[in-house]
Amino acid sequence: MTHFEDELKDALRRQKPPDGFADRVLARAAEQDSRPAKRTWLDSWLNIFAQPFAPANLLHWATVAAVAAALVVGGVHYRNVHVQRERAQGEAAKARLLLALRIAGSKLQLAKARVDQINSGQVNSDQRHPDPNSDPTANQQERE
Amino acid sequence: MAEPVPAEEAADVALGDFAEIVRQHQSMVFSMALRFLADPPAAEELAQDVFMQLHAKLNTLKSPEHVVFWLRKVTSHRCIDRLRHSRVPQVSLDDLPESAGLEFSRDVQPADPFLSRRLQQLVRSLPAKARLMVILRYQEDLSAEDIAGILDMPAATVKSHLQRALAMLRDKVVRTMGEVRTDT
Repeated sequence: MTHFEDELKDALRRQKPPDGFADRVLARAAEQDSRPAKRTWLDSWLNIFAQPFAPANLLHWATVAAVAAALVVGGVHYRNVHVQRERAQGEAAKARLLLALRIAGSKLQLAKARVDQINSGQVNSDQRHPDPNSDPTANQQERE
Repeated sequence: MAEPVPAEEAADVALGDFAEIVRQHQSMVFSMALRFLADPPAAEELAQDVFMQLHAKLNTLKSPEHVVFWLRKVTSHRCIDRLRHSRVPQVSLDDLPESAGLEFSRDVQPADPFLSRRLQQLVRSLPAKARLMVILRYQEDLSAEDIAGILDMPAATVKSHLQRALAMLRDKVVRTMGEVRTDT
């Protein structure tokens, strides 16, 4: 250690605090000890299990009951809404399916009528052997 | 089988231990705060707060060494916090009157009061972290590793800060007081 560091050490040596410092600290500590400990929010809630029938805990129990009831009612309501929504979706899907089936049925009937017509020989020869010079779109429309 | 100690009696025992700790370490905590803040009332307030915090935590500290380490650490961090929140203006060295140094204890006089006072002023002009390191190094006689543990930083950082702080202090002393005092 250099001479300069020794000087620094000398300059920074510990100093005694003002008279009565320790007594003031101890007085504050004693005051803190004598003060009733603050009950925390969590402590007061946990106390309902330690003393379930104490009058001070009635409000807590009432709160617990109200919250539980709200949860049950909310759960049932949510379930009902969910079931109703599923039912409505099912009905809509059923209606769409029926519509699709009806359309498909009518198309099938048309096709069957056409096939029957061909089989009975009532289709004229122009339609079976169309003129290559004729308008193909007109022929197409006619077939449809 | 040991009989259970009544709560009030246990509190008295704890307060007795606490009183012993306060008396034993009051100079350390107060001096650290005083050297850092350079404000005796603020230093006393801070030191009291440190001991009150210790009082609340006393059961968690395992050994006397742990208590000392904890006191130094909490005092250091409170000093930094205090400075950060109060925004104490940094006084320029040139603005300080010669008599601005702190009074020495009546029972311990330094070898050279004038130089000591000047060094105290110069230490106060250092940046907060460097000032704290110088205090811990030269007031508390701690190694760079111990200081690193207290300030939660690498030992190499502490060493470099201390070297720079020393160089700065030495330079200022040389400028104001001459070469003779800084001879090794």
